[in-house]
Amino acid sequence: MNTSKKSEFKLRSSVISAVLGGILCAGIGASGNAIAESVEDFPSKPIRFVTPYPPGGSHSLHAGIITTVAEAHFEQPMISVIRSGGGGVVGAAGVAEADPDGYTILFGDPTINSLRPQVENLPYEVSDFVPVARINYSPAVFVVRADAPFSTMEEMVQFAKDKPGELIYSSDNVNGWTYTVFELLKVKTGTEMRGVEFGGGGPAITQLLGGNTMAYAGAPSVVADHIESGALKALCVTDTVAWETMPDVKPCPDLGYDVVFLFWRGAMVPAGTPQPIIDKLSAGFAGLVEDKGFLRLIGSINSKVAFADHETFFTLLAKEVDDMAAIAESMK
Amino acid sequence: MLEHLIAGFAIMFTAVTIVSAAAGLLAGILVGALPGLTATMAVAVLAPFTFFIDVSIGIPFLLGVYKGAIYGGSIPAITINTPGTAASAATAIDGNALARRGRVRLALETSLFTSVLADLVSTIVLILVAAPLASIAIRFGPPEFVLLYLFALTMIAGVSGVDFVKGLFSAVAGLLLAIIGLDPMSGYQRFTFGITELMGGISLIPLLIGMFALSEVMIQAEAGRRPRELVDVLGAGGLTWRKARALIPVALRSTSIGTALGALPGLGAEIACWIAYGVTKRRSKRPQRFGKGSLAGIAAAEAGNNAVVPAALIPMMVFGIPGDTITAVLLGAFMAHDLMPGPLLFDRSPELIYSFFAVLLLTNVLLIGFGFFAIRHLRHITRIPAGLLYPAVTVLCFAGAFSVNNSSFDLVIMLAGGILGYGMRKVGLPIPPLVIALLLAPGLENTLRQSLMLSAGSFDIFYTRPIALALLTMLVVSVSMLVWRQWNLPKSSHSLSEGTTQ
Repeated sequence: MNTSKKSEFKLRSSVISAVLGGILCAGIGASGNAIAESVEDFPSKPIRFVTPYPPGGSHSLHAGIITTVAEAHFEQPMISVIRSGGGGVVGAAGVAEADPDGYTILFGDPTINSLRPQVENLPYEVSDFVPVARINYSPAVFVVRADAPFSTMEEMVQFAKDKPGELIYSSDNVNGWTYTVFELLKVKTGTEMRGVEFGGGGPAITQLLGGNTMAYAGAPSVVADHIESGALKALCVTDTVAWETMPDVKPCPDLGYDVVFLFWRGAMVPAGTPQPIIDKLSAGFAGLVEDKGFLRLIGSINSKVAFADHETFFTLLAKEVDDMAAIAESMK
Repeated sequence: MLEHLIAGFAIMFTAVTIVSAAAGLLAGILVGALPGLTATMAVAVLAPFTFFIDVSIGIPFLLGVYKGAIYGGSIPAITINTPGTAASAATAIDGNALARRGRVRLALETSLFTSVLADLVSTIVLILVAAPLASIAIRFGPPEFVLLYLFALTMIAGVSGVDFVKGLFSAVAGLLLAIIGLDPMSGYQRFTFGITELMGGISLIPLLIGMFALSEVMIQAEAGRRPRELVDVLGAGGLTWRKARALIPVALRSTSIGTALGALPGLGAEIACWIAYGVTKRRSKRPQRFGKGSLAGIAAAEAGNNAVVPAALIPMMVFGIPGDTITAVLLGAFMAHDLMPGPLLFDRSPELIYSFFAVLLLTNVLLIGFGFFAIRHLRHITRIPAGLLYPAVTVLCFAGAFSVNNSSFDLVIMLAGGILGYGMRKVGLPIPPLVIALLLAPGLENTLRQSLMLSAGSFDIFYTRPIALALLTMLVVSVSMLVWRQWNLPKSSHSLSEGTTQ
């Protein structure tokens, strides 16, 4: 009996070591492939799509959809990686440092790619990234809680004038998107309001819904459902025209508040990525934004597509870098 | 509600659904049991493959992976003192102590029983009171989180072993390590020494793999041959109904802790297991038995972490707010199937929501079967000669640490964690306080600074809000009780609790 147990044990342990050995070999095989990588084969392994903000904001919603549909257009799966911290700087700096081989893409935006590197001392520069493709842009919608003591922009500004510093709003990050539109509003109206930075749109709207803050300005994709459910009231939208899916919400300039700020979302790769790879990625995104499934999903989060390929985006971004410097100047 | 649930079962109770949920569970248990492969990674990598298959296949598969991985982590924690995921780190304390006494099967079955029980109860809570619970959870603002984090920090006392001062020393080391990286609010670099890889802070998973798994390998390498009695009592019995029944109160209390923490966006299974373990030890009549193979210790840790899984779905489904990276990926999977979680989901597609509830209950039943299957085979891991097992574990440590971020710098962190962990064990410094502090510090810092911004610098905010006041009272009472007990501890019990940590 003793011997049979022993042999059974030997069999078992050899099975287990075989399994472990198999895993090990698979690992070595994978890394071997990486070394043999060449531009023609691109992409030969999954692509990492890095969102630099916490889950629940407009970036992570869009990233979820992009990575969902990506495989059909890139021949490889795209993995959504959420790497938040430092208001997007941690994720952005991580991508800036990554190998320029096209396998690491940053889901960029105007604050981390053009505003902040100009006005702050960050571990990366504007020029550390090459724009691949712009997916879309959207304005911000000023929203307040349904039970807030104000329900129009005029009332909110009046409240802030009567009680300086008592209006507390959910902000995202210093020099972030929400931060910037509120700074513009404060400058234009000469009011004092207090923002609390929560790191991204997800936590920011959570705190507004929970009643810990009174106002917020965020993407239609993040605020629309809560407006429809009656938890939040929309005041105005930071664009010169109304947003398609929210025709009732007036543009801020129409109400007399000159706060216009559009927020693009686009794919960026580290500088030094070979041009053929950038072109392949740009073409992949061009196909992706025409995908029926993609359009359906992007509509379901109240967003839309405004695609710009590598070359157009490159020109647009160069101009925006100058515009952002002007915005930063106006907030001083 | 009942008719919705029955309709939900009708949609989900097909062979395809059951098979895909089972496949997900199996994959999850495997991933969870391999140190270094985490539930987050498994869900993130597998999610895209489910987007284009039918909703009744994809979502059950992912929910199975999620559950399986959290459970699976306890298997290596018990058998080889190497937590498969960070969520099962607390399980290793008593689970492995019991295994070392030759009762591997008992430890594994206790873990399975409490995991399934906690998961079941938490799922029922999700089905019955998701919306009301979510509306309470969402009222937790930064000040409430500060107090919760502080309460969680007091758990350090419970896992410090004989010498509380050593525990504090280890905790402070953890807090200091957590400071490294970019300042979460302003983005300034702190103690990064210009090393870009350190900007995101010390990567937690590689460090934990090093501290728990690699240091264990070093200890084993030093110890040489495995103690003989381990093989001898392998035929010893498993969990009897009598023992199981006695564990139910502990399991239920830990389940309520796990459920409450899971429902709060941002607190995950990694923290819940320690709080459940600490509270159980504190309330136990025989706290000296913890750390030496206490069944209650295993039950508390496993119920605490498994209860988080269904509960974490609450804020995601009700408000569309994912509390962590796993639920963010699940949110993406839901959206891919045209289900936009959020305030309107329950009105728009109630039958689908209830069919997911049905899937959660289904995976719960399947977990029992797979758990027993896994226990029958995997408990023999303890019989693999150390000379074969530990080299394999070492390989997995490196592979796992690398795969988290595909970063070779993480290997350095893992190695440093291994050496640090080995050194700490040698001088008798407990590792859990360092890990708890490291897990809690970033959240504590963020919420403390946010609270003071909300209140314009005034500390009033911590007692002028009703929930905060209740939490503050709880914190003060529990700290005073701790101090009182420490003062009145008879000298003799010091020697009894020897070896609580290793």
